[in-house]
Amino acid sequence: MFSRGIGVIVKCSKNIVMKFLSLVLLVAAVNVGAEDSRDYMAVVNRPNLFHLIDLEDEKILRSCELPAEVSPGTVMMSPDNTIAYILGGRFDRIYGINIENCDLVFDSQFKKANIRNKSFASLSISRDGSEIYSIHNPVVIMNDHYQIETPQFVVYRAEDGIGAEPIRSFPIPRQINIMATGFDGKVYLSGADVYSLDPKTGDYAVAIASRNADRKGYGQPDILTVWPVGGINDEFIRMYSIPKFSESSNAIEETELLWGYEKVDLKTGETAVKDFSPLEEVLFTGMLRPHHPDEFYGVLTQLKRHQVSTQSVIKSIDLERTYYCINFSSDGSKIYLGGTYNDIAIYDAESLEKLGNIVLPGGDMSMSTPQIFASSRGLAGSH
Amino acid sequence: MKHLKPMNNKAKLVDAALTNDDSRSERLNEVVAMQTVVGCTGTTDPGWEVDAFGGVAGLCQPMESDLYGCADPCWWPAQVPDIMNTYPDWGKDAGSAGNDWRKLGEVFPADKK
Repeated sequence: MFSRGIGVIVKCSKNIVMKFLSLVLLVAAVNVGAEDSRDYMAVVNRPNLFHLIDLEDEKILRSCELPAEVSPGTVMMSPDNTIAYILGGRFDRIYGINIENCDLVFDSQFKKANIRNKSFASLSISRDGSEIYSIHNPVVIMNDHYQIETPQFVVYRAEDGIGAEPIRSFPIPRQINIMATGFDGKVYLSGADVYSLDPKTGDYAVAIASRNADRKGYGQPDILTVWPVGGINDEFIRMYSIPKFSESSNAIEETELLWGYEKVDLKTGETAVKDFSPLEEVLFTGMLRPHHPDEFYGVLTQLKRHQVSTQSVIKSIDLERTYYCINFSSDGSKIYLGGTYNDIAIYDAESLEKLGNIVLPGGDMSMSTPQIFASSRGLAGSH
Repeated sequence: MKHLKPMNNKAKLVDAALTNDDSRSERLNEVVAMQTVVGCTGTTDPGWEVDAFGGVAGLCQPMESDLYGCADPCWWPAQVPDIMNTYPDWGKDAGSAGNDWRKLGEVFPADKK
C-alpha cells in the first residue's frame, strides 16, 4: 500500500510536471509570438503604387508597381497575410500581389466588350483564402442608350490567378459598397441595409435593418461609406447620421442629430446599432478603438474621440488637413490616418497628440483604404 | 408646368411622370436610387462651397486634398471631370493634387479623342 502510494505520488508529480512544462511552453510561445508580431500597413497610391510599411519602425519596407492605376484603392489582405488584394483599375479590376516579392499573382478585369462593370470598394476574401468576393454593377453600353443590368455578387477562385473569371455569381440588391467576411463564411454587405450572404448559394438576408429600420422616435439613417475599416477588430463597421425627434414634436428645431454606428462582430455574427455622439462635424470614417469597446473615433477634418455609453466627445482636435480613413494599431495605442494626399499621419490614441508622418513615394492616396495587420512572419527581414 | 405643353415624346413622358399617379411609387424609387455614390451623375449633394450645416468648417481642407477623392468616383460630377469613365487621363500628369493642381485643366466634350 505504501509503495502503491509512492507510485501514485510519482504519477501525480509526473502529470503536474508535464502540465507545468506544457504551460511554460505555451506561455513562452505566446510571448515569443507577441514579441515577434509587428503591425504592418498595406496601402496604395497614385499612379500605380503599392507599399508595405512596418509601423513599428515607421519605415516603408517595399514599394511595388501595379499593372494599372489604383482607384478606388480598396486593399484586403489574404488571411495568411501573404497576398494583398486591391480593387483598382478605376473601379473594375482586382489585383493580387505577393507582398514579399511584388509578384502579381492575381489579376481580373471586369469590363467585357460593351459591358461596363464597376465595383465601389466591394472586396473581401474567404476565411481560408481560396475565394475572392466582389460586386459587379454591369451596364451595357448601346449605341443610343445605356442598359442597366442587375448587380451581381461574384466569386473568384484565388488559384485561378492571372485572367481569373468569376466561378459563381448571384443577383444582389443595388447600392452595395463595402463588404467583410465573417468567421462562419458569411459575407456581410453594406447597402440600403446590411445583408449577410452565403457565398455558396447566393442566399442573403437582412443582418441589420438600416433604411428599412423602424426605430421609434428616429428618422431614416444616412450612410456614406466606401472604406472597409474595422478589420483589425474583426468587425464590419459603418457610421450613420440620424435625426432623433423629441417626444412632443417632429419639428426640426426640437430634433437632435446624432452619429451612430452599425456593427457586425465577424467572429460571432452578433450585430449592434448604437448612437455614439451628437452630430457636430462631418466624419467620413470611424472605428471602435481596439480593446476599448466603449470608445469610438471618427475622422475627416477633425479627429474625434467619443465615449459611446454617454454619447459624448472625450476629445476633439482640428487636423492639419483632411484625412478620409482612420485605422488603429492592433493594441489600440496609435491611430493611423490615411487617404487624400500621400502621407499617413500618426496620432496617440489617448491624448490625440501627433506623433509623426510616413510619407509615401508617389501621389495621392485619394479614397483608398489602407489596411493594418499584425504578422509574426518577419516581413522586415525578407527584403 | 401649367403653361407648358409637351411637344415631343420625351417631354410627354416627363409630363406623364409628373401627372400619372400609377407611376408615382416607381418615380419615388428612382429618386431614392439617385442619392447614392453608385450613380455617377446622379449625386445632387452640395459641393465644395458649403457643408452640411451651411458653413465651411466641415469641408475638406484644403480642397485639393478632396479633389481626387471626388473625381475618382465622380462624386461631384458638375465640378470635376469623371476620371472613372469619360476622362480617365485627366490627372495623368498630376499625381499630387496639392502640388500639381495647375496641370488640372478644364475639359470639354470636343477634347475627347
